[in-house]
Amino acid sequence: MTKELLLEIGCEELPASWLPSLTLQLSTRLRDRLQEMRLEPRELPLVFSTPRRLVATIPDLETSQHDLEESLTGPPVSAGYDSDGTPTSAAIGFARKHGVDVSDLSEVVTPKGRYLAFQKRHVQRSASEVLPAVLAATLRDLMFPKQMRWDAWLDDGRGEFLFGRPIRWLVFLLGGEVVPFIIKRADAAECADVKEIKASNITYGHRFIGQVQPGPEITVGSFTEYRAQLADRGVVLSRVERADIIEKGLVERASAHGGTIDSEAAAQSALLEEIPDLVECPNVISGSFSEEFLTLPPEILKTTMIHHQHFVPVVGKNHKLKSMFLAVTNTSSANADRVANNASRVLAARLRDARFFWDADRKVKLETRLDRLDTLLFHKNLGSYKDKTVRMEELSVWIAEEVLQKPNIAKDVATAARLSKTDLTTEMVGEFPELQGVMGGIYAREEGQSEQTWRTIYHHYLPVGPEEGARPTRAELGSAGLVWVAVALADKLDTIVGMFSAGERPTGSRDPFGLRRQAHGLFKILIDLPDLADVTVRPSISELIVAAHGLFTAAGHSKELPEAMQDFLIERLQHVLQQRGYDIRNVRAVTKSLRSNIKPLDALRKLEVLPEFTESTDFQQLAVAFKRVRNIACELPDAEFELAERDDPDLRKLLNEDAECHLLQELEQRGPIINNVITAGEDYRTGFAEAARFGPVVDQFFSEVFVMVDDVALRRARLRLVKRLERLILELADISEVVPGDDT
Amino acid sequence: MHPETFLRVLGPVPWRVAYVQPSRRPADGRFGENPNRLFKHHQFQVVLKPAPDEAQDLYLESLEACGIKPGAHDIRFEEDNWEAPTLGAWGVGWQVMLDGLEITQFTYFQQAGGQELSPITAELTYGLERIAMHLQHVDNVFDLEWAPGVKYGAVRQQEEVEQSRYAFGHVDMPSDKFSSFHRDLFDRYYEFAQTLLESRLVFPALDYCLKCSHVFNLLDASGGIGVTERTAYVLRVRRLAVAIAKAYVGVDESVESKDD
Repeated sequence: MTKELLLEIGCEELPASWLPSLTLQLSTRLRDRLQEMRLEPRELPLVFSTPRRLVATIPDLETSQHDLEESLTGPPVSAGYDSDGTPTSAAIGFARKHGVDVSDLSEVVTPKGRYLAFQKRHVQRSASEVLPAVLAATLRDLMFPKQMRWDAWLDDGRGEFLFGRPIRWLVFLLGGEVVPFIIKRADAAECADVKEIKASNITYGHRFIGQVQPGPEITVGSFTEYRAQLADRGVVLSRVERADIIEKGLVERASAHGGTIDSEAAAQSALLEEIPDLVECPNVISGSFSEEFLTLPPEILKTTMIHHQHFVPVVGKNHKLKSMFLAVTNTSSANADRVANNASRVLAARLRDARFFWDADRKVKLETRLDRLDTLLFHKNLGSYKDKTVRMEELSVWIAEEVLQKPNIAKDVATAARLSKTDLTTEMVGEFPELQGVMGGIYAREEGQSEQTWRTIYHHYLPVGPEEGARPTRAELGSAGLVWVAVALADKLDTIVGMFSAGERPTGSRDPFGLRRQAHGLFKILIDLPDLADVTVRPSISELIVAAHGLFTAAGHSKELPEAMQDFLIERLQHVLQQRGYDIRNVRAVTKSLRSNIKPLDALRKLEVLPEFTESTDFQQLAVAFKRVRNIACELPDAEFELAERDDPDLRKLLNEDAECHLLQELEQRGPIINNVITAGEDYRTGFAEAARFGPVVDQFFSEVFVMVDDVALRRARLRLVKRLERLILELADISEVVPGDDT
Repeated sequence: MHPETFLRVLGPVPWRVAYVQPSRRPADGRFGENPNRLFKHHQFQVVLKPAPDEAQDLYLESLEACGIKPGAHDIRFEEDNWEAPTLGAWGVGWQVMLDGLEITQFTYFQQAGGQELSPITAELTYGLERIAMHLQHVDNVFDLEWAPGVKYGAVRQQEEVEQSRYAFGHVDMPSDKFSSFHRDLFDRYYEFAQTLLESRLVFPALDYCLKCSHVFNLLDASGGIGVTERTAYVLRVRRLAVAIAKAYVGVDESVESKDD
């Protein structure tokens, strides 16, 4: 037999950003706890949430536990009875432990022999008997970003009960009948105003909507009834429905005013994701602000509306902001005009504040803010933000001149780097920290700095994600592409190399300085260089970090490159490339290299063509053999190899077998072609095609030639041959990582 | 923070109190020029210990008593946790929004003076200027009617101008002297707070701890301390607050005499 289960945890307002995860947790944890108690739900519980309630329901929960017969193994039969068949103390003890007679024991045959056993039948308990323990465990399971103490206790032996916000009521019904459950209160708090919370069949609707006499309590039986009753009292239980109402409302309101919602701004801020979790009864209203505020930069207007007020900006047909906003309230439409009016006044006050900052900030030039910047600490071992910008200036100019080969942009690069962090001292960024960089760019523009300079400052914290489409776009960068590349790279390199030098590095989920994100930004720039700035250079990771590190060693830090940083960077590069959709095995192949000077852009270009080869027979042949090549090549130390190559470059006279001469010939023929590809950094298709042609020759070599012969000179010659091959192929990729068709 | 809150939330004794408290935030000083931001504003503080189950409802009823009908507005409890690092105090709760205007901070205290609290206290901090501006339909705080025929500006604007000038160091004194004078003040208040504490005079000790906290805020606003030093100051005040809290609840522990 089955009955409907209904659980509602009535809370004081839970933070909106927690709801998506909490809802999911409630579903899986409740299911797991039911399973553990042998009340197997057929499907995951249906779950809902609003700021004031977490809800789960199962239409057909079994009303009693599944059977469970457990076979408990005791002592071997041989030890259980003595020679005349009398039970020994071992058998008696085993039986007593389970509260039965020896005569109730049975025998089981195991691979180790015959054993005494007790077939324990668990008593089937009814669901209503078991459910209180299920609920207690489920409540304990829910994880919150921050939990609070609220003088609550559970009788589950674990004592004090922390939760996200205080629970005010509990609906817990099986087939419409209340399942008894109590949340107790701490002795220190219990009084007439602080009472136990007892599960009941009473819920509450929206705080202010549809309250009818004699009181706010609503008695419920089934989920259908519950949902309908809540709807009557202003609560839209389903998040999907709320999101739908909100979206339709926003679109209608905006178009009624001849505009559209600024979806780009709203999406960037995840505003529309959050709003459905802030309200039980969504209702869209519109308000306006004085046109005079439109003279403020749109970034400020948008941030004020979105981040501070949860308002949605509206743009006209020309994509310019209109002097209006939309807001989603948690009230009935009856109050719309009053609320809109008040909300407009609040926004106006905020915008007046912003204008005050705008006017005050512009009285102090960015250049003169450098002194104040010196009092802002970047890191205790790395100095102030001013120190950081001094390093950034030097590094970015070096990038411009030496890496990008554009000495003519050095002046803009230097200015942009030097001023990049000065906005941290402005009132506007103090008030709106999310506008760091953006405000610096705007103020630089107002001061008459070049477009290259101000756009660079504006976007220098970007990109924050590795995705292909991550901002900034070419259009956003305008003419600043190259200058931006130099400064944005310098900022990230300085942070990563500096933090690692200072002993700060991400561990597990801890990454307090956001170094992973910095690395993702770094590699995103490096692999998208041609698109972002029309340049063909392919800087290697090592040349960049060595340059960045030099500025720290000059300041007295260790001369050693932090070892963990190398692995960290390779791992991050692999992550970024994987994000672009490339197979992890291929990604590993192109990021493992003999030399540490991986060029991220080359890695990407190799990946673009590598899949064309991985299925071919020759290539597979080489991939398999290459593992062997690598193993054998280890036998010859690098230094010894290099010395021999220099002193006695001609191998031919040292070799005698056909197969090895053949391989040498192939190396001499294909080597230059592959090396040309590597140097040019393009046409890797040709490179891999040439490499694949080694397949049969290498196979033949290994089947006909024994490398580790006793003759030292011959052995070394053969090792050199193998090592030449290894080095050549490794310039392309460690193709031993590429084993196609093997998905495990 | 007022002793009626900071000390009374500690320990097991039930406590309920309401009072108006001026709140001085040097960094918010705007020379009387900003219509919303003040060096000094007024809060109506309500302390409910233990936090009653109906705290939110009681709060909403109090708004109604002020003439704000909750059902006619968009009232929200939006996540906003409160923290006072110098006092080792924090709690979880909300900012209460009235049609988009933050009018109250509602906090369930979790710790004060570094001590775990039991029972838990609910603290309501009503922003009086904000609520008055809403009720009087005024957009500039200085236009509020303070008493019949008397504007807020007439009573408070001069003070705002002068306090802001002081807070930002616009004093006839070189800035290094200004800051060294305040550092000295801080040290003396600090030292005396410790003496008071050793004399088992907890309430006076808290007064001097609060003076330290205020002088620190002034130093901070006038740009007199760098970031590293700032952290050190915060820790010192915090250490004092923790000692005071411990003394109040009777944990016998002498105050560390050194700031190591």
